[in-house]
Order: sequence, then structure tokens, then C-alpha cells
Amino acid sequence: MSLHWTLFRGMLAEEWRLHTELFGGRRFAVFPLLVTALAAGTAWFLSLTEVTVATVAAGLHGLAFAFGLHTGSIGFVGRDAMENLLGDITMLVFSGRTLPVSRRTLLSVFLVKDIVYYGVLFLLPLTVAVAPLAYARDPALLARLPLLWATTTATFLFGAAVTFAFVGLSTRGLPGRMVGLLAAAAVGLAWAAGVDVGGATPYALYADPSLATAAIAVAPSVAFAIVGLYAYDPSVRSGVRTIDAAFGRWRRRLGDDTGLWMKSLLDLHRSSGGIWKVLFSGGVLFAVSAALIFLTESVTGVEPSIGLSFGAILGLTAFTTYNWLTQFDDPDDYLIYPVGVADAFAAKFRAFLVLAVPNGLAYFALAVVWFGADPAHVAVGAVLLVGIELYLFGLTVALAGLQPNEFLFDSVLFAAFGAAVAAALVPVLIVSLVVTPVSTTLLGALAAAAVLLGAVGVAVYRRAVPRWERRLLA
Amino acid sequence: MTAIRTQSVQKSYGDLEALSGLSLSVDEGELFGLLGPNGAGKSTTIEILTGQLRPDAGDVSVLGTDPTTNPAETRRRVGILPERESPPSFLTPREYFEFVSTVRDIDDETRERRVEEWADRLSFAEQLDTLATDLSRGQQQKVMIAGAFLHEPDLVFIDEPLANLDPIVQERTKRFFESYAADGNTLFFSTHHVEVAEDICTRVGIVSGGELIAERDPRALDEGSSLLDAFLENVDAPESREALATEP
Repeated sequence: MSLHWTLFRGMLAEEWRLHTELFGGRRFAVFPLLVTALAAGTAWFLSLTEVTVATVAAGLHGLAFAFGLHTGSIGFVGRDAMENLLGDITMLVFSGRTLPVSRRTLLSVFLVKDIVYYGVLFLLPLTVAVAPLAYARDPALLARLPLLWATTTATFLFGAAVTFAFVGLSTRGLPGRMVGLLAAAAVGLAWAAGVDVGGATPYALYADPSLATAAIAVAPSVAFAIVGLYAYDPSVRSGVRTIDAAFGRWRRRLGDDTGLWMKSLLDLHRSSGGIWKVLFSGGVLFAVSAALIFLTESVTGVEPSIGLSFGAILGLTAFTTYNWLTQFDDPDDYLIYPVGVADAFAAKFRAFLVLAVPNGLAYFALAVVWFGADPAHVAVGAVLLVGIELYLFGLTVALAGLQPNEFLFDSVLFAAFGAAVAAALVPVLIVSLVVTPVSTTLLGALAAAAVLLGAVGVAVYRRAVPRWERRLLA
Repeated sequence: MTAIRTQSVQKSYGDLEALSGLSLSVDEGELFGLLGPNGAGKSTTIEILTGQLRPDAGDVSVLGTDPTTNPAETRRRVGILPERESPPSFLTPREYFEFVSTVRDIDDETRERRVEEWADRLSFAEQLDTLATDLSRGQQQKVMIAGAFLHEPDLVFIDEPLANLDPIVQERTKRFFESYAADGNTLFFSTHHVEVAEDICTRVGIVSGGELIAERDPRALDEGSSLLDAFLENVDAPESREALATEP
């Protein structure tokens, strides 16, 4: 058996066991089915509108690219980053220092493994889910689905290769970073100048199948992968950081009795990306909100309520902020100190309140200033935002405790989370996106619902804490 | 006076029985070592004694507290140094000691004095303002040792006390442990290093298969015998012992 094949099989088994270990054991096997069901539901909903299969396919390519960017960064940033996210683990891709296998071989096989693994487990279900919509629009479109799978998988590889190239260049110090920055700037300028940047990606092959576009589908990914393979230096370590003590000073200023709140904020502030990553996540959701709201307007012809719709959707920033806050510690870490599990959760709740609420409201204010909104809708929208944030906080604590990352891929938990979010959000979104004008009575009902959601969130959080304590000590 | 007492403690993880009726007693002022092979139940014992884990059955008493029903009180009274624990990544050692002092009610003046003593004893004064994530494994362990003793508890639990430390710091740490116990405090070690147990413990309990199977006083062993002999005699299979004896 060749070395490459042995490594490939080992990495594939490792990836599967990592996911099943982290995300609900054998239940993880159901996750692709859940992806298919959710995506098919979305496709069915879209079939009720004027959205075309071409638009959905373009969106899927965008999703595959973003997914590739994300996966590439997790796989290649290094063991320390992996440990922050996943705990103490060792993977074959990091064994170059202890086994007589070159790191280029390891990384090449790792990329191929990623393509096969994610292509089959995630991109194939997404492609299958488009089938009902394609059939509804034109049965002949079904014949294009294999191509859609191939090009979304290639787009995933493209995203992973781009990240890999940038990570590789960043290990080469300032010159490497400058090269990466200039390349990114060149692409940005080309796009601004009207150059069809998407035409140089695997999407071109889907849009216009030919030998030339097939070459385009593969060549940039191979080029980025080669840059990454040759530039990446795994021996690079960040410098030792010396910092003036701030913990005690800020703890006293904030009146933090246990120090756990202050520790949470410092963890976030001093980790890679600092506090900006919270703002960045909010910015992504702001952009998605704007796209969704204006897409709905173009499809339905109804002018949505800016205040209500942005308030409802930006409430989802709660999830990303709570994710960031819980990346850097485990509940077990505090069991050697005389503090209770409830203290650890209370600290996260306080940190959440000082970060998530202002972050969501800041983007809400931006939306109001940018797009304009009725003052009454703004007031109710702000209440909605805070109410939904508190509801999501309570829901996430109840389902995932201090490890929300892990439940994203646990099919049962994810389905429960999705259903609970949908139950609260869908009625609010229907009112804010398609009901016009919104009566004063309805506005009052929305405000009351928001307050109720917030109260439910806090109550659910408080009830969940003793359960997590029992589970932790069991 | 008894510092620690367990009676018929049992703990299972699914099908794996980690402790199958562990009974032991440790007096105040002892340096007690729990010696056993990997997977013998040593870390589980420490986690139960410090209220980090609830036993399935059995009674536990630590300094008169019950870690099963009131873990926070037990943890307030004792110091704990887990084997693989490191200080929080994004705090400096100085800030970590501020955190420990906050949760353990140590005033600023006392904290500063003790931190200075520990930084001198374990040679980490120059790393006090370095982010913990940038410290070496050994430096992180020094910080964790100091953190476990910062409130000068009557009893300290230590899982693999000297792993990752250089020989000089190991020696200083051992001498500190001895003087700490000489002042009437109790230390409870868990280790699979026979030589460490032999060197610093006043009494050693050998654990295997989740039970205490023998106890020895390393300083009162027969002429020509060692703790390793006692360990092999009680734990290891005869063929392994023979193989060890024929090794060059």
C-alpha cells in the first residue's frame, strides 16, 4: 500500500472520528441528512418565489467558498489554534516532526482528504437538496446537478487553497504578508474595476461548461495550493508577549467578585483578532441581513420594515458572540478553585451582556442611519434585538452549556436549536418583512413578545445551570 | 488527626470501573503517595477527593468536609494541582495569582509577598508578566505549583508533582514539600514514578484495578528491598518482572 494511500485513509478515519467524538457520537452520521432536509426546506420555500436555480447555484458556490476558507484556516493554522477550538488533540497532519514524512506530502494529502470528506458529507447533501427546486423549475435542470456538485466541491477546494496560501505566506514574516496583502488588494481593485472575478473560479465551469472553463476551475486552486505548500513554515512561532498586569485593576473597576468575568473579557481581548472578531462577526450578519431584507423586497414587492427586520435578524449576533466568549476555557478548568459552575456561567452572562448587546445595537443603529426607519419601528426593533439575544443566550446555554461550538454538528441538538429559533423568529420575521403597514396593536404585540422572549431566555439559562453542574460532576 | 478518609469508594465510566471500593486514610502531616500504573484510578481518586467528581458509592471526608455534598467548601480548604492543567492562556502569571487570590480571599499585601517568595523559590520572576500561553510547559507547571500553595492550605493534592521540571527545581520543590509537611500540613501525591514516591513520601499506597492493594513506608523498607520491588510484587505480572530482571 503506498504511503499516500495509507495517509489518506488514516486522515479520513481521523476526521470522521474527530467529528463523531466531538459532535454527538454516532448521531453525527445523521448530520448530512439534516443538512439535506434543511436545505431542501429552503429550496422548497424558494420555489414559491421567483428565485431561479441559477441564483441558488451561485449562492451555493459562495457558501462552498466561505466554507473552504473556514476549513482551510482550521486545518492549517496549527496545533495551538486547534487546541483552542477542539481541546488537546494530535493529528496526522502535525506528525511531520516525528515521522519520516515530508510536510508537503502531509499537507497535500490533507487537502485531498478535505475535498473528499467535505465534498461527500456536506456538499453532496446541499446539491441533492436543490433537486426539488430544479425539478419544479425545469426537469431538464436535474441533469446539471452532478456538475453543480463537482464545481461546488472545486470551489470548496479553492477557498481552502486560498486560506492555505495566505497562512503559508504569513509564516514568512513581513515580506510574505506584504505579498499576500498586495495579491488581495489586486483582486479587490480588479473587482472594483468591473473585472469578472467570479469568472476565474470554478463557478465559471458551472455557468458555462467548456474545456477552457474546466481549466479555470482547477488552475487557481492548484496555484494557491502550490504557493501554500512552498511558503508554509511549520516551525514559525509567535514571539513571547509581555504585558502589564491589567486583571486586578479592571476587576476592581468592574466590581467583579470572582474575577471570572474579567478573565472572560481578557481572554477574548488578548486572543487572535482581539475584540475585533466580535465586531467582524456582527458585520457579516449585518451584510447578510441587508442582502436578505432587500432580496425579500425584490421577490415580494413589499417594502420591509427596516427597524423590525434588522432588529430581529441582528439578534442572531448573540450566538456568534457567545461562541467567541466560550472559546478559551472549559467548565472543568474552574473545578480546582472554590467557585461554583454557576459562577462560571454568571461570568459569561455578564460578559455577554456587555459585548453582545452593544455590538448588536451598534449595527442596528448603522442600519437605521443608513436605510432610514420609522421611529416607532426603531424602538420596537431595539427591544426585539435585545429580547432575541437573551432568548438565544438562554437557549444556547440550555442546549450546549459552555461549549456551543460542539453542538453545531450534533444533529439532534442542532435540530432542537433550529426549531426553537424558528418558533420565535419566523413569526417576527413574517411581520417585519411582509406585513405592511404594521398596526400599532401589532407593534405593541411584537414589543411584548420581545420582552417575553428575553424573560424566557433568562429563565431557561437559570434552570440550565444546575443541570450542567450535575452533569459536570457525574 | 485524620486529614483524608475514604471508605469503599466506587466510580465507573460506562463499562470501565475506575475505582472498585477504594478505602484509605491519611493523617495530618503526612506526605502520602498514591502509586500505581497508568489507568489505576489515581487521578479519579484525586478528583473525587477534591469534589471535581462524584463517586457512585462510598464515603469521603477531607479535612472534615464532604466533597460530595459541599465541593466548594472542600476546594476552599485545600490546594489542587492537576497533572495536565496549565494557567489560563491569556493571563500572565502575575494576573493568574491575582485571580487565585480573588477566588481564595487573599489580600493584596499577602499575595505580593507570597508571589515574590514563590518566584524566587522556583525561578520564574522574569516570566511574571509573560502571557501564560507563551511560557514553556515547565514554566507553566511552576506557576501552577505556586498557585496551588498560594493560600497556604492545610492539605494539597498534587497529580504527578515533578513532571516537566528541571533537576534543580525538582530538588527545591521536593525540599519545600518536606518542610511544608514538617509544619503539620498534609500532601497527597499521585504518581506512577516509583523513585519520586520513594524519595519524598512518608507513606505510599499502591493502587491497582481501582483498589488499594498495599501500603509501604519507603523509609522503613527491609535492607536490600525497594519500593520498586514492592510495586512489582503487588502490581506487575510475574513474566514482566522476570523480563525486567534479565534486562542488561
